[in-house]
Parts: sequence; structure tokens; C-alpha cells
Amino acid sequence: MTELFGTDSRFVAIVLRTLVVSGTATTMAVFIGFPLGYGIARRSFRGRTLLLGFINTGMGMPPVVVGLVVWLMLVRSGPFGDLDLIYTRTAMILAQFLIATPIVVGFTTASLQALPPRLADLLSVLGAGRVRTMLILAREARLGLAATIMAAFGAIVSEVGASMVVGGNLERSTRVLTTAIVTETSRGEMDRALVLGLILLGLTFIVSLALTIVQQRR
Amino acid sequence: MEVSLEGVRVERDGRVLLDVPSLLLRGGRTTAILGPNGSGKTTLFRVISGLDRPSAGRVLIGGLPVDVSRAAYVFQEQVFLRRSVRDNLELGLQLRAIDPAERRRRMEGAARLFGITHLMDRRADRLSGGEGRRVSLARALCLRAPLVLLDEPLEGLDRPTYSRLLHELPHLLAAFDATRIIVTHNPDEALRLAQDLVVLVDGKVHASGEKRDVATNPREPEVAEALGYFVVIQDGRGFAIPPDALRFGPGAPEFMMDVDEVIDLVATTEIAGRIGDVWVQIELPATTVKPARGDRIGLHADRVYELR
Repeated sequence: MTELFGTDSRFVAIVLRTLVVSGTATTMAVFIGFPLGYGIARRSFRGRTLLLGFINTGMGMPPVVVGLVVWLMLVRSGPFGDLDLIYTRTAMILAQFLIATPIVVGFTTASLQALPPRLADLLSVLGAGRVRTMLILAREARLGLAATIMAAFGAIVSEVGASMVVGGNLERSTRVLTTAIVTETSRGEMDRALVLGLILLGLTFIVSLALTIVQQRR
Repeated sequence: MEVSLEGVRVERDGRVLLDVPSLLLRGGRTTAILGPNGSGKTTLFRVISGLDRPSAGRVLIGGLPVDVSRAAYVFQEQVFLRRSVRDNLELGLQLRAIDPAERRRRMEGAARLFGITHLMDRRADRLSGGEGRRVSLARALCLRAPLVLLDEPLEGLDRPTYSRLLHELPHLLAAFDATRIIVTHNPDEALRLAQDLVVLVDGKVHASGEKRDVATNPREPEVAEALGYFVVIQDGRGFAIPPDALRFGPGAPEFMMDVDEVIDLVATTEIAGRIGDVWVQIELPATTVKPARGDRIGLHADRVYELR
């Protein structure tokens, strides 16, 4: 490995950075997306179907387009240029959060809607308050919700377009596994690219395995 | 604990689903809310249970505003957590802060009473229809709430299970000191399970009171139809005839029936046809002389109620 990447620390930093950026974006998307999905699944309101249509479209949005929009917002001449966030990990987290959130909301809504329709009524009449009802329903829908987290993390840890556009692929600050693979491929360093690809696969597998264990626990 | 509704009105999208100026359901008794599909039974159930708030008016349980913690419910659908029967029974007790020793005592008592002791460690959502219904009833009744609401509690059961539970249910309900409200569209169930009847049609209460009074004095065609009676117009007067009161045999007939179908049910024969424009069916013993399709036969009625 040292032979391939010069020093282990540079390589470890890329892996850790990938985990921090995608892990933070996934966590944020879960914190926002779960309650939003819960609200959409449980309530009926005017424009609900249209909103779900937008969310489902968002689930398939090309990351590079999200990256472009975030870049336009954060670039020096953009509306939030003063924040000086362009080409930072924060910008990458923001872009990945925007990619992951529709996925989390869409899958959460679907998972909760797959539960028996009267389950929430039952919990309510048995005496569960709002928070308790939400927690019990989340537990009942844990198969779908764990799959939601896996899908969201999988989508953003493997995306390259948004990270490249808003992060800039700066070697010591914003390079993550996917952008590093692109860099190594463009340099013709196929061995390095391949190793990075295998590490990315391994990382996704470990996170998915951990969530699968939680998901399948009886 | 009596239940009273005062000026209750439920509207949705400009449509009145329920309009009950005043209704009193007596405490310690079983009342059946009877009505055809779409009559507002479930809306009334949800309002009494506190699941939905009325657009206007109020519901009082024992003189106090409706509160879910003072009621127990059995839903029409079988709704369970994907956990064991024991966990499902315990959840409500846990949520109502019953201490663990008392929880165990109540669960064991309810399991014995409803004959589900052997199911306690099975997954509740994988039970058969009859088993699930018993677990739903046990879960509601072990809460020992002063008000128990049952929405179509026997709906969707196979015939043997239905018959068995129909006979057992009054005894099981009587084992708990509570006011019981049963929502049903089936007049036979209502008469077997309840002491009092409320007939709901198009969101309005058309009759209420002791079942004998309501059943023997239907007055309005809507009430008679909800009770499953045939409503016949003859010589400009309306009559309600309970299906079991119609007889075919010798003597001066009271009603003439045009026979459309004669169905051999082996032990009995079903005759379907019309009295005037009203479709009726009667069952005859297999030994009786059978009319043929197209015949016009005379019928007698043991009981006939004249409508207003």
C-alpha cells in the first residue's frame, strides 16, 4: 500500500475524509428526512401527491446537477459567496445532504405507508403519545428504514460529480475516494484507482453489513 | 359510565358525515350502532373514541370530555405489532403505566378467558383470523377501561369461527365491568350482542333505545331496512316484515309474492322473488310443497309492523 500511495497517512486521510463527509451528510439527511417522511406518510394535506412527485424526482436527481446548483450558490460571486465555503468539505457535505435527503424522505414515506394503516390509530388509543407512536412505528418499519440509510449512504459515498464540482478535489482537504479514483484514472495509475475502488466497495459493504445486522435483529 | 353526544356534527369537504343533535348511551350496557355501509357508523365510532374531533358539539364519557385513556378499542382490521402475542397484550398496559406484576396478572387472566394461552409466544401478525380476533379482544379488555368500543368485531371471520365467537362474545364482554359499544351493519349480530340499539342512516340517528323497543317499533322504512326487515308497500300503506316472520302455506294470504328463483339448499329450499317491487327471500322446509319459478304465491306474516 505504501508503495502505491507514497505514505499511508495520505491514503488513510482520504478514507477518513470520505467517511466523515458522507457519514455527516447521511446523518443530517436522516435527521431531517425521517420526520419529514413520517409527516408525509401520516398526514393527508393538499398538494401531498405533488410533493411526493417532487421527492421521487429528487431521488433520481443527477449528483452533478446538485453539485452545479450548490456551486452556483457558494461560488464567490454567488448569493452565499461571502460564506467562503466553496471547495471545502462543508460544501461537499451540503451537496451530498441535498442528494441524500429526497432518498431518505421518499423511502421513509414508503416504509411507513407499508405498515398496517390503522397501526398508528391503535397506538394512539392504547395510550402512546406522539413521540412514542413515532418511535414504535419506526421500530416496526426498521427493515425499510435501515434500507433507507443504506440507500442514502450508498448513493452519496459513490457519487463523484457533486464532490468534484463543489469540493474541487483538493489533495489535502477535499479529495475523497471517488474523486481520488477519477484523479488516478486520469493519470493512468490504474493500479491505484483499482485499489481505491476496492476500498470504496469494502467501506460500503461494512456500513451496509452493520445496518443489515440492525435491520435483521429480532 | 354513560356516553352522551351533544350537538355533534362532522363535516368533511362541505359534506355532513354525521349530525347527532343528542344521543345518550346508557352505562354498563352493550349498545349496538347499526346502519348500512356509508351510514356514518365508523365516523361516530371515531368521534366517540376520541380518534377524530367533531366539527361541532361534544362527546362526554361519564360526564367528562372524551379521553382515549378511559376507553379500549377493537378495530375492524386486525392490527398488530410484528411481535409476540404477549408483547402485543403488554403494550397497552405498559403505555398506561400499569405495574409489571399487575400486567402479568391481567395478561394471564385475559389469555385464559379468551383461550389464547397457547398463542402467547407466537407472532401476533401471523395468526389466523379467529385467533387474531381473540387476541384483539383480549388486548382491549385487559386494559379494564370503563368504555369498550368494538368496530365490526366479527367481520371477515370464516363461518365456524364467526358462529362460535358470536355466541361467546356476550359472555366474554359481560366478564368486564364496562360500557360496551359495538358498531355493526349486521342486524343479527346487533340483536345477539347488544341490549340497546342505535340505528344510524345517512349520518343521522333514526332510532335509539332498548333493542326490543327499536326492533318491534321500527316506524321508519330506513330503520326497518337497517334491521334487515322487508319493507313492503301495500294499498298505500307501508309494512316492515322481519324475514323470519314470512310463511308459505294454506290460509288467506296477506301478501302475494312473484317467485323468481327456487334454490335447493338440500335441508331447506330458498324462494326468492318480489312482493310488489320489493325483493324478498324466504326459506321453506325441504318437505314443504315447493312453488315453481314464475308462480304467484300467498304468504302470511307472523309479525308485521306498520310504518308511519
